[in-house]
Amino acid sequence: MFRKLVLIMLGMALALSACANSDPGNEAGGLTHIRLPMGYIPNIQFAPFYVAIEKGYFRDAGIEIEFDYKFETDGVVLVGAGELPFAVVSGEQVLLARAQGLPVVYVAAWYQQYPVSVVAKSELGVVIPQDLKGRKIGLPGLFGANYVGLRALLHEAGLEESDVTLDAIGFNQVELMAAGQQDIVVGYAANEPIQLRAQGVAVTEIRVADYVQLASNGVLASEKVIAEDPELVRAFVGAFLKGLEDTIANPDESLALCKAYIPNFADLDADVQKQVLETSIEQWKAERLGYSDPQAWENMQNVVLDMALIPEKMDLNKAFTNEFIP
Amino acid sequence: MYPSARPSRGPRRLEQRLKHEIMNPNFIRTVSQNTNRGWLGLLSIFLGLFAWHLVARYSGIPPFILPSPLSVWGRFMRAFNDGSLLHHTRITLVEILLGLLAGVIFATIMGYILAKSRSLERILSPYLVASQAIPVIAIAPLLVLWLGDGILSKIVICALIVFFPVLVNTIVGVRAVPSALYDLMNSLHASRSQILWKVEVPASLPVFLGGLRIGATLSVIGAVVGELVGAEEGLGFLLQLGDFQYDTAMVFVAVFMLIALALMLYGFVILLEKRFVKWQEKN
Repeated sequence: MFRKLVLIMLGMALALSACANSDPGNEAGGLTHIRLPMGYIPNIQFAPFYVAIEKGYFRDAGIEIEFDYKFETDGVVLVGAGELPFAVVSGEQVLLARAQGLPVVYVAAWYQQYPVSVVAKSELGVVIPQDLKGRKIGLPGLFGANYVGLRALLHEAGLEESDVTLDAIGFNQVELMAAGQQDIVVGYAANEPIQLRAQGVAVTEIRVADYVQLASNGVLASEKVIAEDPELVRAFVGAFLKGLEDTIANPDESLALCKAYIPNFADLDADVQKQVLETSIEQWKAERLGYSDPQAWENMQNVVLDMALIPEKMDLNKAFTNEFIP
Repeated sequence: MYPSARPSRGPRRLEQRLKHEIMNPNFIRTVSQNTNRGWLGLLSIFLGLFAWHLVARYSGIPPFILPSPLSVWGRFMRAFNDGSLLHHTRITLVEILLGLLAGVIFATIMGYILAKSRSLERILSPYLVASQAIPVIAIAPLLVLWLGDGILSKIVICALIVFFPVLVNTIVGVRAVPSALYDLMNSLHASRSQILWKVEVPASLPVFLGGLRIGATLSVIGAVVGELVGAEEGLGFLLQLGDFQYDTAMVFVAVFMLIALALMLYGFVILLEKRFVKWQEKN
C-alpha cells in the first residue's frame, strides 16, 4: 500500500513538472510566449504592461506575456544566463550586472525620472538634501534602487554616507513611519509618500530626480536575444511603448484595465491607486518614449563608482541602446 | 516536608547509587567519536570540491550562476583580508549566541514545567505546535515591526527557531526518568532540589543535548532570516549584498561561513555531551 502511494505521488510529481516546464520564449499557438520578471508584486505602476496586453498590442506583435513577480536580481540573472529574453529592471542593475560579466543590455527606458524619494515627517522641516545631515534615515537595506537613489542625493548635497545614520528596516517604511518608529525613510515617489499621506501622516518629500538625472527603470534584454532575434526585441519594445503611451494619455481607462491584474484591487483605496498612477505617469513622460539619455547613464555610472559597487568605468554604449525604440 | 539537610551518608554515596540506577540502556546514546575513519570525511570534501571545479570549468555554466571553488576561495581571501568577513561573522555569531541562549533557557524552563503537568501541556500544546508550524520567514517582518530593526528582533527570531526542539526534548527527557529513581530519592528524604539536580538533570541530559544539537544548528537559520529582513551588517546582509551586486562568489562565501558556524555550534554541543554524559558512553 505504502509503495503504491509513493509510486502514485512520484507519478503525479513527474506529470506536474512536465506540465510546468513550458519553455519560455517558445512558440505557443503562433505567439511567442515570454515570461517577464517584473521585480515587484502586481501593482498599478505596471499599468503600461497591463494596458498593452488588454489592448492587444503584445498579441499583435506576436507575443504572449506571462508575468513573473520575482526579485529583480533573479530576473536579471535569468536574462544574463539567456534563460529569459527580457526583464523589467532599475538602471543601476544593468551596470552592476555588466560589471560581473552578465551579457545584458537595456533596450527601452520606461521611467525618465529616477523614482526614488526621501520622505520626512513635516515637523522636521527636511526639504532639501542638505537637511539630511546628522539624521537617521530608514531604508529597505543597503542595496537596491532606494540605497542608490539616497547615495546619489547625498552626493549632490555634498554629503557622505557617514554624515547620516542609515537604518536597514526592510520594506516596512510606511508601517514604521506611521507607527512613529522612523522619522525619515527612503521609498518610491509613487508609493510611500502617497501611502503615508493617505494614513494621515504629514510628510515632506525630496525627489532624487529633482537633483540628478539617473538611468531609471526600463526593459532589459539579453545579448543573446538581441543577436539571435532582434525583431522580437523590436516587437516587444514597440508593444510596451504603445501601452505606455496609452496609459499616459488616458489614466482613468488604464485604471479600469488594470483591475484584472492586481489581486484584491476592489479592496484597495481607489484614490490612492489613482494618485500612484498619476504620480508614476509624471515620471514616465518624455518627448520620445523609451529613449535613454546618455547623460543619465553617465551620471548613474558615477554614482555606482562612487559607491564602489563597480570596480571601474565601463563602455556604456554596450550597457544601453536606443536602437529598438521607434 | 523534605528535610533540608542532605542524607547523613553523604552525597558521594547517593551519587554512586543514582548513577548505577540511571545507567539504563533505553536512554538515547550519544554518538561515539570514531577518528579512525576521519580521512573518509576529508576525502569526501576533496572529491566534492573537485567535482564542483569540473562542473564550473567544463559545463559552460556562467560564473555568475556557478563560480568555481578557486574564485570562491579568492573572494574569501579578499573579504578576509579587508576585515569585512570577520566583522559580519562576528555580528551574526553574537546574534546566534544570544538567541540560542534565550531560546534554550526559555524552552528548558517551559519544558520542565510541561513535563510535570500534563494538563498544562494540553492547554498550551496548540500554541506550541502552531509556533512551530509558522514559517519564521513569514513572521520575521512582523517581528521587525514589533521589536524594531535592531539586534533584539534577530535574537527573538533565533530564539523562536531554537525553542521547539529544545522544549520537546526537555519534556521527553524529564518524563523518561524512571519512577524507581523518584521512589529511591523519596525514600532517602531527598529535597525537590536534590531530585532535580541529582536525578532529573543527569537523567534527562542526553535527550536534552540531542535537542540542543538540532536547536544550535537551526539557530544559524534564525539569525540569517532576521538579517535578511533588515540589517546593515551580518552574514545575512553580506549574502544579500552579494546577490544585489551579482557577486555570486560572495554569496558562496557567506553561505560557507554560515555552514562553518553551524558546524562549530554542533561540535560544541558534542563536546558538552562528552563532558557531561560521559558516564553514559562508558555504559
